[in-house]
Amino acid sequence: MTSLLSYLTGEDGRNILSGLINTCILWVIGSGLGAIFGFLIAVARRYGPRLIDYVLQASVEVIRGTPFLVQIYLLYFGGPYLCLSLGEASACLTLDPFEAGILGLSVYGAAYYSELFRAGFEAIPRGHVEAAETVGLDRWQTLTRIILPEMTMLVLPSMVNMTILLLKETAVLSIISVKELKFQVDIIGNRDYAFVESFTILALVYWALVEICGALGRAAERRLSRYRFAHS
Amino acid sequence: MSIVPAIRARGVVKRFADLEVLTGIDLDVARGAVTCLLGPSGSGKSTLLRCVAFLEECTDGIIEIDGEPLGFGLGPNGERMRLPASSIRPVRSKIGMVFQQFNLWPHMTALGNVAEALVTVRRLSRSEAHDRAMAELDKVGLAKRAGHYPSELSGGQQQRVAIARALALEPRIMLFDEPTSSLDPELTGEVLNVMRSLAETGMTMLVVTHEIGFAASVASKIVFLDHGRLLVEGAPGDVFGKPRHPRIDQFLDTYLDRGAAGLI
Amino acid sequence: MSWELFWLLVEASGLTILYSGVSIVIGFVLASGICAAMLSSHRLTANGGRLYVSFFRGTPLLIQLLLVYYLLPKIGLNVPSEIAAIIGLSLSTSAYQAEILRGGFQSVPRGLLEAADMCGLSAFASFRRIRLPVAVRLTLPALTSEAIMLLKSSSLVSVVGVVELTTMAKDLASSTYQPLPIFAAAGLVYLIINLVVAGFGRLAERAAKRGHA
Repeated sequence: MTSLLSYLTGEDGRNILSGLINTCILWVIGSGLGAIFGFLIAVARRYGPRLIDYVLQASVEVIRGTPFLVQIYLLYFGGPYLCLSLGEASACLTLDPFEAGILGLSVYGAAYYSELFRAGFEAIPRGHVEAAETVGLDRWQTLTRIILPEMTMLVLPSMVNMTILLLKETAVLSIISVKELKFQVDIIGNRDYAFVESFTILALVYWALVEICGALGRAAERRLSRYRFAHS
Repeated sequence: MSIVPAIRARGVVKRFADLEVLTGIDLDVARGAVTCLLGPSGSGKSTLLRCVAFLEECTDGIIEIDGEPLGFGLGPNGERMRLPASSIRPVRSKIGMVFQQFNLWPHMTALGNVAEALVTVRRLSRSEAHDRAMAELDKVGLAKRAGHYPSELSGGQQQRVAIARALALEPRIMLFDEPTSSLDPELTGEVLNVMRSLAETGMTMLVVTHEIGFAASVASKIVFLDHGRLLVEGAPGDVFGKPRHPRIDQFLDTYLDRGAAGLI
Repeated sequence: MSWELFWLLVEASGLTILYSGVSIVIGFVLASGICAAMLSSHRLTANGGRLYVSFFRGTPLLIQLLLVYYLLPKIGLNVPSEIAAIIGLSLSTSAYQAEILRGGFQSVPRGLLEAADMCGLSAFASFRRIRLPVAVRLTLPALTSEAIMLLKSSSLVSVVGVVELTTMAKDLASSTYQPLPIFAAAGLVYLIINLVVAGFGRLAERAAKRGHA
C-alpha cells in the first residue's frame, strides 16, 4: 500500500491529477456540447424542412453506425488533409489531440443525444400539446412551458446513461495521445512494468466515477418523479 | 347432510402491509348458480376473487373448493396451516379464471392460447388438442379467428378467447375478474352474451363486475362488499329492492346506467 | 484510393465479424447465467451477479481489454492476443446482455404468468412456453443494438495487436499517407455491416411478432 501511495506524491501524483482533470474537462465539455448540438439536431429534424431531416438523419446514422475510434482516427489523422481553399488562402482541419478529442466526443455524443431528444418529443402525448393550444398558449410557450419540461423528465434516465457512456469513451482518446487519465497512468505503468496494477487502478477509478454519476442521476430522477406526480 | 357449496370461504382476511383489504369474509357460492360480487372500487372484491383462485394468499381464513381446502387447511388441533404446494394444483384445476386484462399470451394464436394447456398439462395429442380448442373457440363464436394473434383481435374477441381458454380445461367453477371493465361499451355486450349462455348451461360462476344490469338479470345471488366487509348478500330482488341499505343506494347512484334501471 | 486497398479492408472486416460474432454468442451464454444469478432469490448470488454487471458496464472496454491481455499471462495462461481479445469482448458484452435480459424477464406482464398458473402449467412449462419466449421478444431490439455496439467496440482490440478492420485501416493509412479516404472507407464498411445486422434484427423482430419466438 505504501508503494501505491508513493505514486500519489511528487511528479507522478501531479501527472495523474492533471490526467484526471483533463478527463473531466473532456467529459464535461464533450457531453455538454454533444447535448446542445443533439438538441438542435432534434429540433431541426422535427420542425425544419423535410430535406434537412433526411440529411441529418443520414449523418446521425453514419455516426451511430461507425466506431468512435475510427471517427477519432479520421478526425486526427485525416483532418490535416481536409482543406478548404478560397482563392489564395486555404485552411486545413489540423487539430491537436485535445481538440480532436473534444470535437470527436461532441460529434459522437450529438448523434446519440439527438436520438434521445427525438424519442422524447415523440413520447409526449399529443393531448398535452392540444390542451396547451386550447388554453391559448402559442407555439413558443407550448415548447418552453409544456414540451421541454415534460421531455426533460422523459429523457433524463437515458441522458444519464449516455453521459456515462461518453465518460468511458474518453479513455479511447489516449490512443491518439490525449493526455487524459488513462494516458498518464499508462506512462507510469509502462515505466515500472506494472501493467496489471495500473489497469486495475484505472478500472476502479472509472467504476467509481460511473457509479457516482449513476447515483446522482437516480437522485435527480427521484426528485423529478415527485414533480411529475404532482403535476400529472 | 347439507350439500357442500362450490366455494366456501371462512374468515378470509387479507392484509397488504398495514392495509387490511379483507376483514374476515364468510362466503358460500352455490353450485350451478351465478354469484356476483359487487362493490365500489377498493372494496376488496377483486382481492377476494384472487384469494379464491390462490393467486393471492389470504393472511387468515380458509377457502374450500368443492369441500377441499386450497392453499391453507385446518391441522389436527384446528389450527390454520399451510398445505403442501403439491396439493394446490389438483384443487385449482377445478377453477377457470378470466382476467380483466385478458392476459392472452401474445406469442401464440387464439388457437395456441386455448390449446397450450391441453397439450402441456392435459397431455392431449396435438390433433386432439387442436380439435378441442377449435370446438371451444366455436362456442364463443371465434372459430374463424383461430389463426389470429391477440394483437390482431379486438378487446371483446380477446376476452372471448380467454373464456374459451379457461373452458377448454373443463373447470367446475368459473371466476370472472371484471371481465368487461377494460372493454369499450360496444364490445361489452358480446362478452356478456357469452357469459349469459355459459350461465344457462348450469356452470357455477363467481363474477366480479360493475355491470349491474347483468348482475340483476343473470345472478341468483348478489354479494355486496364495502371496505373489505361483506355488507349485504341475497337475491338481486332483495339486495336492490326497497328498503335498500344506504351504501347500496350510494353505489347504485354512482354505477347504475339508465338502461339497467328498468331491470331492478 | 484504389480498389485493392478497399478490398484489403473488406477482407479484414471478416475478422471483425468473426471476433464480434463469437464474442456475442459466448457473451449470450454467460449473460443467461448472470441474469439467472441476478434474479435468484439467494442474496449472495444475486449481489454477485449485480456486482459483475456493474463492473463491466462501469469501466471502459479499452481498459478491460488491456487488463485481460496483461492478466492472463500473469495467471499462467499464455494465449494468443486474439483469444485474449475475444475473452475481453465476451466478458464485457455478457454484462450488457445480462442487464437487457433481466429487464426483459422482469417486464413480462404478471398477468400472463397468472393465466399460465390458472391453466395448470407447471413452473417449468410456464417458464419455457410463456416467460422465455415473451422475454426474448421484448429484448430483441435491445439485443440487436448491443450486437451493433459490440461490433463497433471491437475496433478497440487493435490496441492489443489483433488484426482486424481498424488495425488494417490504420496500417494502410500510415503506409499510403491517405488517412482521409482510408478511414472513411473503413467507416463505410462498419456502417454496411451494422445496417445488415440491424436489418436482421428487424426481420427477427417481425418473425417473433407474428410466430413463436
